[in-house]
Amino acid sequence: MLYLPTWPTDFLKRREPGLKAPLALYERIKGGLRLAALDAEAGSAGLRVGQNLADARAMVSELSVQEINRPMLEAAFADFADWHSNASPLVAVMRDITQFGDLVLDVTGVAHLFGGEGPMLRLLLNRLRALGYTVSGVIAPTIGAAWAVSHFARNQVVETGDLDTILDGLPVQALRLSPAQIAGLTQMGLKSIGQLRPRDRKPLQARFGISLLERLDQAYGLLEERMVPRIPVAERYAERRFVDPIGLMDDVLLTAHDLAIQLALRLETEGLGGQAFHLFLYRVDHKVMTLSVNSARLTRDPEHISKLFANRSERLEGEYDAGFGIDMIRLAVSSVGALDAVQMGAFATQDGAEDLAQLHDRMTSRLGPLAVLRTQLVASHIPEQAARLVPAIVAEPDAKAQNPAELVRPLRLLPVPELVAINAEVPDGLPASMIWRRVGYRLIKAAGPERLGAEWWRSGQRLQLVPPHVPKKPEPGEKPEKPPYIPQLVKFDADAGTRDYYMAEDAEGRRFWIYRQGLYGENHWYLHGFFA
Amino acid sequence: MSSPDRQQRLAALRDTIADIERKPALAEARVMVRDLDAGFPLPAGGLLQEVFTDERRHAGAVLGFTLAQARSLLSPQRPAVIYLQLVKDSQEMGLPYGPGMLSFGFDPNALVLVRAANMVELLWAAEEALACKAVAAVVADIAGHQKILDFTASRRLSLRAASAGSSIFLLRYGTGREASAAHLRWRLTPTLSARKRFDPFAPGAPYWRAQLEKGVLLKQQTEWLLGWTQDGFTTRDGARRPATRIAAEPPFSGAVPAHLADRFPQTA
Repeated sequence: MLYLPTWPTDFLKRREPGLKAPLALYERIKGGLRLAALDAEAGSAGLRVGQNLADARAMVSELSVQEINRPMLEAAFADFADWHSNASPLVAVMRDITQFGDLVLDVTGVAHLFGGEGPMLRLLLNRLRALGYTVSGVIAPTIGAAWAVSHFARNQVVETGDLDTILDGLPVQALRLSPAQIAGLTQMGLKSIGQLRPRDRKPLQARFGISLLERLDQAYGLLEERMVPRIPVAERYAERRFVDPIGLMDDVLLTAHDLAIQLALRLETEGLGGQAFHLFLYRVDHKVMTLSVNSARLTRDPEHISKLFANRSERLEGEYDAGFGIDMIRLAVSSVGALDAVQMGAFATQDGAEDLAQLHDRMTSRLGPLAVLRTQLVASHIPEQAARLVPAIVAEPDAKAQNPAELVRPLRLLPVPELVAINAEVPDGLPASMIWRRVGYRLIKAAGPERLGAEWWRSGQRLQLVPPHVPKKPEPGEKPEKPPYIPQLVKFDADAGTRDYYMAEDAEGRRFWIYRQGLYGENHWYLHGFFA
Repeated sequence: MSSPDRQQRLAALRDTIADIERKPALAEARVMVRDLDAGFPLPAGGLLQEVFTDERRHAGAVLGFTLAQARSLLSPQRPAVIYLQLVKDSQEMGLPYGPGMLSFGFDPNALVLVRAANMVELLWAAEEALACKAVAAVVADIAGHQKILDFTASRRLSLRAASAGSSIFLLRYGTGREASAAHLRWRLTPTLSARKRFDPFAPGAPYWRAQLEKGVLLKQQTEWLLGWTQDGFTTRDGARRPATRIAAEPPFSGAVPAHLADRFPQTA
């Protein structure tokens, strides 16, 4: 557990070295300007969070103030947290009390890499202090205990045996309670956790709710508490640290290639392959950049993987910013599955499927997943719904596409039909002339109409499994109820969907697919496609 | 130095020089015609072909002509055709439509659409696709004049196509012609379609007039009137027979399942 009480101000000072020492961040709350964060000097001058800004200025005349920018600070703290994953793969931001300031690292099985828990804690703390952050840290058996000790006691490594004695001495605030609960406990005269723990639990629950007992049990390890790590855990990864930070993309890609070879060797011994590969670049200034590539089929081919990353980096363009350098690179694999060794050579079938899949991967990694598409036929007679474009690396080709009714369909379809002006010589007859994109066409041949109606089996009513919702009148002082969720599916509209399609050819042999929207009499004609 | 030894070394040096010089030259001197069955000499794989048409509204015809050629290049070892288009051209030119390809006679599973954001990415994707062993043909649909697509770019593409053995078709629109390293350049114009049986007012099988502006396929013949059915290309000598006579011919030459009315096969 790392506790950074003055992280917002430390961060701003580090970003803008011109900021003067007593720094306070204020926030507009209910029309008043109140302090939201303070640095150490301001705190020692007697200011406190929640104070009126005018009062604070009166107390400390040389105070420099800024309005707090919570979204920016939250994003920066998230980056800061990700950067700590070079110490432990499981890092979480604890938002119980404040939005930023509390970092939880799961160091199970990690500490020996740093020479034990004590040296690891010292390393983490010294590293942050050298950067100008006020920080206290504790390694403890439970998250609750670590939070309590880091906020209310000195930095230390708490052993399981000492847990009870250390916790008993701490004030009840250390249990992450709400202000109302703390006030109630103070009223009862219960100041420390040690006084609270032997009390009868039933009256406590009746008065303070179950959350108090939960927090108590979590701190002592009787109840398990879970953390939600920010970066999903990858079991298999290869990483490399650099003595001197590197900056050039070429170096990064070379390293990625080396790491891919390492990872491939490991995957090969386990008989596995992966579909998603992630490259984490840890910058020296507390940011982590992530590059992810996907593969259509399971692979562990290092050449292929590094090529995908090279293509992906082409798409970064201006986004890539190494800052002051990158001091660690990690290549992780996810979506792992069994991939057995294949014998190459005489008996391999030469169907090119693997080459094609790799080509799709490469093009997807550079052009983006929605740029490489494959047609999937859908059983619908509405033309624009009959074919669907899906990313090629996701979709397997259909077994055998068939056109059951031998419908005549155009070779090219306009994504959005375009309005045309049509004249027919006789009412309800074949179209005779057309104006499209401001050019006139004399249509000499036409076939049709092919009438496509709306899909009547899509009901015009929504399925009602519960009685319809009647909104209640809100009581004074109560918020109005939210309307229930209703999915936005296309409903059947008996009239709107009918289209009469014609295949028309003009005097020079251009063949168009045009349709009339609605029944005869409504002259809304559209051009929908071109024939070969 | 003895004389035979010297001659041997000279011959070896000549071979080396020939190797260096011949590679691109050989690529262009290759046989372009694959078979002559249908009357139309089908170009072989490994060529850069430009298919020009005068106007953008002929987009359907050029795509048809190209897919018809690409279909003949498909093989079990090369099962894919890659179609490239700029994202901004989709609405203007239309997208290849799966059911339409089926009724045209092209398996939509074989076609992969690539929608590139700009011309650099499109050319990159074209080269990447050409280099793949499993790609039979690349179809690049390029509307409008593109400055980046100059002689150097097309030379790159033609060399890549020649070395990989897969064809690339550049679909271009307009009457302007720029310098390019294309092996074949077509000018394609749609013409009146064939007569449809039992329905004289309906358009039938498509016909295109294909003029070969660059390259040689058959001696002295540079113009074909090509028809297309699901069975393959058909040809008519457009110079001698007017369009009305063509329309009188039945569009299919092979055995075709009998159709009830317009579209319901009797044998189904």
